[in-house]
Amino acid sequence: MTEAAANLPSLRRAVGTATATATSAGLAFAAIDYLGVVSILAYAPGRSAAVAILIGGLLVCYVAAVFSELNGLYPSAAGIRLYLGRAIGNRTALAVTFTYMTTVVLVIAADAFLIGAAIRHVLHEPAVLAYLWIAILLGVALAANLAGVRLAGWMQTAVTYTVLAGTVILCVIALTKPGAAMGQPLDLFGRGTFSGIQAIAFALFLYAAFEWVTTTAEEARRPQVITRALFLAPLLIWATATVFALALSHLVPSSVLKGSAVPQLLLGTKALGTVGEVWMLGLTVLTALNTFNGGFLVASRFIYAAAREGSLPRRFALLNVRAVPWVAVTALAVLSGLVAALVFATGQWLLLVAVGATIEAGIYALGSFCLLRLRRRETRERPFRLVAAKPLASIGTVVFAVLCLATGLSDPKDPHRLSVAPLGVIALLGAAATLYVRIGLPKVQAAAAARAATARPRRRPSKVEDPSSKEQEGA
Amino acid sequence: MADWEELAEALADYTATCNDNARLRKMQKDWSKVLHFVCTDSGETFTMVVERGEILSTPQGHHGAPDLVVATTSETFCDMFWGDLNPVAKYLRGEITVKGTQEDVMRLDAISYVIWPDA
Repeated sequence: MTEAAANLPSLRRAVGTATATATSAGLAFAAIDYLGVVSILAYAPGRSAAVAILIGGLLVCYVAAVFSELNGLYPSAAGIRLYLGRAIGNRTALAVTFTYMTTVVLVIAADAFLIGAAIRHVLHEPAVLAYLWIAILLGVALAANLAGVRLAGWMQTAVTYTVLAGTVILCVIALTKPGAAMGQPLDLFGRGTFSGIQAIAFALFLYAAFEWVTTTAEEARRPQVITRALFLAPLLIWATATVFALALSHLVPSSVLKGSAVPQLLLGTKALGTVGEVWMLGLTVLTALNTFNGGFLVASRFIYAAAREGSLPRRFALLNVRAVPWVAVTALAVLSGLVAALVFATGQWLLLVAVGATIEAGIYALGSFCLLRLRRRETRERPFRLVAAKPLASIGTVVFAVLCLATGLSDPKDPHRLSVAPLGVIALLGAAATLYVRIGLPKVQAAAAARAATARPRRRPSKVEDPSSKEQEGA
Repeated sequence: MADWEELAEALADYTATCNDNARLRKMQKDWSKVLHFVCTDSGETFTMVVERGEILSTPQGHHGAPDLVVATTSETFCDMFWGDLNPVAKYLRGEITVKGTQEDVMRLDAISYVIWPDA
């Protein structure tokens, strides 16, 4: 934390560890995580999935330490822009951040699609109605955001803990039922070395976005609150994902899981019949509250700030009467709707998981690299320092780069094959962001400069030196 | 470095401009906050009390428990309250430090954006 920030007065209402942990876990645990577990099971069946999730969790602990130190240096909602900018230059940082923010669109789109699919599944509606559910869900989220409706902190906390506890309870019940007893041997690399690496890479996806809690650093009671949340939230996700993976392997055959967008409902039905199905549907819908609330808020405010700064066209900063950046929010909803519809039409929902996992692994590699660069440049005190940062961050950069490639080259529908589809999607997103930064941004900045040149003159009165004071100085 | 006199002059102008702006008052009608400001160079502090979007007072020193705390140099504060700089650009460069919710930070910036869209 900077010296100035450390000495600021305390806030009337500040975020404590429980709320920050819930925020972190809530941002990470979305409906798409249920599918994430299915992706892991494809590479590491049965109990081996739990090993992959544990290794993923241990890697995420290292990531938590990296982001704790970076957040300590730049405790700001704009933190990621700041430390990327300082480490790799502003233009590259902007292109990376734009690509990173597309994960928000992917997660919102995935949740809209998955919840639509879950509701349709329970109500036994025709497939085509999924489009209607996607439109309704995103329409409600858009209207609530435009009206300035936000989940109160306590409600967000309650929702997160309900989803996690509800999932764990149902899974424990499922594990008490007679089932397949997870017959596969405990061998993470049973389907080949590359499969084991891919399983770990997909396990990382379960924790993805937990680091976004750093955007609430300015609300935290103390800087240590964010550090604690960064370490505690993965623990909650690890416990929940592990029992879900075990319960799923125990009760739902892999042949049934393959091709299903609603594994959590299948598990609920197997465990408790209709009650279990409705139970899991309720939890799935609850995850949307966090995703739609947090996702829209983080991404739209980022777009607003970028537009105000002059990095995006000015219209993205337009505010409605509720002080909501309505163009940014509407653009997010429309884009998410289009992606969700495309996913439904093509049946490529596991591609979303692969793309999300690849981007996150890439960001973690970049975070490690940033830490290496900033260790040399920033000598300021920070509330958290990673021990043995130089060797650990060097290894971290390489490990996460390998995991990024492992998911980027995975075939979402067939674990035995490789595919360039996930990496191809990211290359397209990255190319679009880079093209914008190289070609579009100079035009936006030129327009801003032209506006500034014709804008009103400086309002602040210039300082007029008091002649008497000069005389006094001379005397 | 700006002294309190210069800051007070900037704040007086800012208060009048904000309170006279009907659109801003409508937009901020649900925003009642206590803001603390800290000049990192001179150590000067002041408070801004906002009630339903209207700036009620801007006394020297810190009064009450804050919802939002903003810290930067006295010169930046003066330029900001005169509408001569874009606070977001400074914030994204880490030259303005804040403590508070993202919502309140955005609301504070929204004031500058509405009254000085060209800044």
